[in-house]
Amino acid sequence: MGYRIVEIELAEPLAPLSLTEAESGFAIVARWKGRLAGFHMEKTAAGACLSTAALSSLAEEHFARRALALEAQAEFVTRQSPPPAGAAPSLSIAICTKDRAKRLARLLASLCAAWPTSPFPSTEILVVDNASVDGETREAVSQFEGVRYVFEPRAGLDFARNAALEHATGGLLAFLDDDVVIDRDWLFGLYAGWSGCPEAGGFTGLVLPYRLDTEAQIEFERRGGFGRGFEARRFHSAKAGNPLHPVGAGILGAGCNMAFDRSLLLSLGGFDEALDTGAPLPGGGDLDIFYRVLRSGRIMAYEPRYAVYHEHRETIPQLRRQYWTWGLGFMAYLTKSRRSDSALKAKQDAIIRWWLFDKLAALAGSTCRLRLREAGFHAAELWGGVIGMAGEYDRSLLRVQKIREQTP
Amino acid sequence: MAERWDIRHVDLSAALPAIAESERPVFAVFWWRELPLGVRTFLPEELPLGRTQIASLAADLAAVQLAARLEHFGGPARATFDGRAVLSIPLDAIRSSGDLLGQLDALAETTPAPASDISVVICTRDRPVALAGCLARLRDQQSPPGQIVVVDNSSRRTAEPILSSFPDVQYVHEPRPGLSVARNAGVRASRCPLIAFTDDDVEPYQGWTREIARAFSNPDIDAVTGLVLPAELDTAAQRFFQLEMGGFGGECTPLIFDGRFFAETCPKGAQVWRVGAGANMAFRRTVFDKIGLFDERLGAGASGCSEDSELWYRLLAGGGACLFEPRAVVLHHHREQWNELRQQVRAYMQGHVSALLVQADRFGHRGNIRRIVRQLPAYFARTAFRAIQDGASLRLQILQEEVLGWLGGLRYAIQPGWRARSKLPCGTAGLGTGGVRS
Repeated sequence: MGYRIVEIELAEPLAPLSLTEAESGFAIVARWKGRLAGFHMEKTAAGACLSTAALSSLAEEHFARRALALEAQAEFVTRQSPPPAGAAPSLSIAICTKDRAKRLARLLASLCAAWPTSPFPSTEILVVDNASVDGETREAVSQFEGVRYVFEPRAGLDFARNAALEHATGGLLAFLDDDVVIDRDWLFGLYAGWSGCPEAGGFTGLVLPYRLDTEAQIEFERRGGFGRGFEARRFHSAKAGNPLHPVGAGILGAGCNMAFDRSLLLSLGGFDEALDTGAPLPGGGDLDIFYRVLRSGRIMAYEPRYAVYHEHRETIPQLRRQYWTWGLGFMAYLTKSRRSDSALKAKQDAIIRWWLFDKLAALAGSTCRLRLREAGFHAAELWGGVIGMAGEYDRSLLRVQKIREQTP
Repeated sequence: MAERWDIRHVDLSAALPAIAESERPVFAVFWWRELPLGVRTFLPEELPLGRTQIASLAADLAAVQLAARLEHFGGPARATFDGRAVLSIPLDAIRSSGDLLGQLDALAETTPAPASDISVVICTRDRPVALAGCLARLRDQQSPPGQIVVVDNSSRRTAEPILSSFPDVQYVHEPRPGLSVARNAGVRASRCPLIAFTDDDVEPYQGWTREIARAFSNPDIDAVTGLVLPAELDTAAQRFFQLEMGGFGGECTPLIFDGRFFAETCPKGAQVWRVGAGANMAFRRTVFDKIGLFDERLGAGASGCSEDSELWYRLLAGGGACLFEPRAVVLHHHREQWNELRQQVRAYMQGHVSALLVQADRFGHRGNIRRIVRQLPAYFARTAFRAIQDGASLRLQILQEEVLGWLGGLRYAIQPGWRARSKLPCGTAGLGTGGVRS
């Protein structure tokens, strides 16, 4: 059923790959001299073998161009005169978590392995326990020496993110969700992102699948997952060829792996606590902050080396719900932006029309082809969007107000 | 779309320059000295470009050039069905590479290839000022062509007075209207073994003839096309044509279109228009001897356009090979007025459909019909949907012209007697039908 995820190093001779009978496909994470250079997944017969030659020709087709570009890039960089040396900021890494001690421990283990070689002048790790019901989270954190623990009693991801903002000391504040594991190059990736664009207000990075064991996980990755590619990109307040930018903030990255200039976040007033509240409005907070960073005139930089592996939803119903939250979160974020930033009203209205057209066409297309599961995903996203448009942001504001009042 | 765009040419081989700030949007053309690498567009908010950003852009563009041009990196690149290159680069070559930028330097090296084997043919009709600009650029070629022929397709002979300033240019008057007719007159008046065509609204770069001559140094190549860049993007019509409709392309990857490309795409209608543009194309004279001249039912002044792609079709169907060589660069002045653009788009579509009919008739290849009755209507439906989705009313206007052009092309098919005129003019040795003056 599952796909094997294998990492290959293109600069070294490749080894053949043979799957077990339980595996019906593979996903390759390719590196060139240690740097992430590509991802490719393919369905095969169960227990298939891939000879060295087959693997090479696959790599030559899918990854070699990037590898050659990385080589050329290295030469360009040595040819360039060195960049003016600026002092690197200190880094705070915040993990917001709720009742998922095992996954948290897994992430902390990957972080602590990379921690001693951090290129930043100082690096702190901060776990924000977002109203977990028991003490397991605290206990998990205590296993890792030097990791700070903060308890945020008000349930809601953006309450936790704002708590992190308040307690962090770093100039740069990186957020990780508890369902990811970092790539071994993650810290250097963020550093490379920062040194390539120190003026940026925020950074996003690559999100690869942690495992592809279930149908839902494979399906999610096949449909694009969180992938934003292996090319470094910059996002500004406008974009040639995309007249609706920056309203469609989803292209920038995902909230499970993002970092910001902390002083900018403070001046923007932090995250919107009415978004990303967990049920019933579990989304939109990342879109909102990306959008506000761009609207403040600062750059958002996407850096593929700044990579994490995300544990996708396990079952099809969970996945369907995820698409539902995407629609819901997107529309809640748009409701808010239309209210708070009316200068872009034309773009905001246009993207709602665009989005409805897009989802309706996708739904019609998959229904006509009798791809019912896919139609279900589209319908879920569309339905989430409709609820999002029908006053969900306002309901969320009321709920959040209540939580604030109830918590001393 | 309201604003004028700047066109900037950036040489990445110099110590990497950043693109400076700009008040206007920028259409950037990236070069490695005289080797074009690619085009990108930027809004003022996206500028200036940072050093790392430009290094990664330069590296991506460089990798494509190396892979498409160098044998050890898997080159030369061949076109796949949609006219794009699939680059498959041997890993061993990358592992043992070294000094990639040196190799790029070598690719950008210009050889002083003589162009005395080239006859340049320019067909013109009532655009004397533009023609003078084109001729001035041809006079400045680093490798002067063996012959320049101007074919005046105007009944009033409007090009003739201009030629007094260009004594070396040969004047041919072709009073019968039609670009194909004029081009054929040009072929007949030409003397050299290579014949290059350009238009009166085009300004060739200084190395244009040299690069065409170099491209033909490969004996397997029968026809060459080159890069057509916009000369300016000042008006809404020009920007729409370039930025929304893709202009005449901006890809800088050299590509070979050969029998394999043709065979792969023939069942669905070989996408020969991907080969290039008539504003920048060249042929060996032997091609005309073998497969005949331009079909005079096609082209501007007759069906509307596509006389160029129909000739590539015949060439590829007969096992010939075309090379798209972006080193041969020209600038094209797009239509300035919105109405001119609308007319042009309609003419393009009408000419395209007529050419598909002619190709189907001549070879019995059904893929051409399939394109007319299935692919094009599907394209119209998709475009309409997207235009409504994007709220792009200008796109709908243009789409309307495309649909009318499609209908016009079909009407062409029921015109009595068009099949009777399918015999191709041939013979390249004689002189044009009009008066010749040297």
